[in-house]
Amino acid sequence: MSASTPESAALETEVLLVQRLRDRDEGAMTIFYNKYSSALYGVILRIVKKEETAEDVLQEAMVKIWHSFPSYDAEKGRLFTWVMNVCRNLAIDKIRSRQYRVGSRTQPIEESAALRQAAEPSFRPEHIGLQEITNKLNPDQRQIVDLLYFGGFTQSEVAEELNLPLGTVKTRARAAIKVLSKLIR
Amino acid sequence: MNIQDYIESGILEEYALGVLSEAERAEVERIAREHPDVARELKQVIGGLDVYAEAHAVTPPDGMRERVLAGWQQAIRATAEQEKTIQTADAPVASPRMVVSPVSEPVAAPAQQEAVVRQLPAAEAPGRIRLMIAASVALLMLSALGNYLLYSRLKETEANLQVAQTEQSRYAATQKAALNERDQQLSVLRNEAFRPVELKGTPKAPEALARVYYNTQTKAVFVDVRNLPALPEGKQYQLWALDNGKPVDAGVLASATAAGDSIQQMKDIASAQAFAVTVEDAGGAASPTLSTMTVVGNI
Repeated sequence: MSASTPESAALETEVLLVQRLRDRDEGAMTIFYNKYSSALYGVILRIVKKEETAEDVLQEAMVKIWHSFPSYDAEKGRLFTWVMNVCRNLAIDKIRSRQYRVGSRTQPIEESAALRQAAEPSFRPEHIGLQEITNKLNPDQRQIVDLLYFGGFTQSEVAEELNLPLGTVKTRARAAIKVLSKLIR
Repeated sequence: MNIQDYIESGILEEYALGVLSEAERAEVERIAREHPDVARELKQVIGGLDVYAEAHAVTPPDGMRERVLAGWQQAIRATAEQEKTIQTADAPVASPRMVVSPVSEPVAAPAQQEAVVRQLPAAEAPGRIRLMIAASVALLMLSALGNYLLYSRLKETEANLQVAQTEQSRYAATQKAALNERDQQLSVLRNEAFRPVELKGTPKAPEALARVYYNTQTKAVFVDVRNLPALPEGKQYQLWALDNGKPVDAGVLASATAAGDSIQQMKDIASAQAFAVTVEDAGGAASPTLSTMTVVGNI
């Protein structure tokens, strides 16, 4: 039995990367960029909707990740989850901070430029395409996950926004995330 | 606590979405440590949202990698520099005390009336020392601020210089490419093997004039426009070789060629007795539109 399954290899590179970042090795940030930029950029772009802003936010996020890296606890979760949340929070702060906010709340997310962007070429076998997600989630579920994940809304805010009972929002969000977690490879 | 109710309360989703307070997060983590079911569920929720994030991956535009990494590096260098200046500003606060205190000793030592003399500087000194400390701290702060401003201006200048240098090397590269092209054209014009063929304007365009250089050995064909009427949008000049009366496509003329800015190498022609230029739809035609023939000439 060989130990080098793709998962364990990916885990190993992540562990090495975390170690290098902990050692304040600046070169590690290039590896970090190569590994995560398309996922981070995609989500940021989806939130801020403008390419230049997305680039600024990604750079800002990398500075923040570098400085607050000592607070990352590998025990609590993957590096990917942690950095994605840093980026998502910065991007959401950005759209809430400016006149960005005006109008964009009620504007359907589907109209955003980000959706028209092609997803990255599928050279990673574990990568799940947007199409697959769209096929698996019904529009109601998708709308709720979008508001929660890209809009930074709490479940109560979503309930208010969509004029739905909080219980319904929670049930739909849970069902949607359950569907997504079945896609974990 | 009913674990199933807890799982279904939606709090794990809120945890994964990052909307909980620090205390609420700690509570979720504590419960997850105690109940493996909660821990498993939490892992699923987080993983599911990661899948969602990954599905939205977009390849960043070209050149962004360099810009972002350079910007990141500049930002962390600037902070490191700032920290350093703050540290140097902090450190001297302690040192003036050491410098100042010997001053008060000699004042006290020569005097016999210890009680009186000593008391005065002792009462006076802390105030003066405090003042001096405050002054030196203020000076250091000012100097740190000055350093910081100078440093950022230096960075700005460096960035401008870099832009200028890039601009300059780009300019040099285009000039060099243009020069190479001219050299090549010159070698065609000087080459005895190239036979010049004058193409004169037809009655449609009596002023039109062009020249073809034809190398019968290598079959290479160059065209040099002296004057061709400007064309409407969507039209392009096309060169034809006439071989035993049959037209052979020699390629279309680029707009710079048609304007007379540069000579252009056309398709190789095996054999020809004459050359002609017609007006065709952009991209060229399979056979010439004879009514639009602008210039023609025999070898």
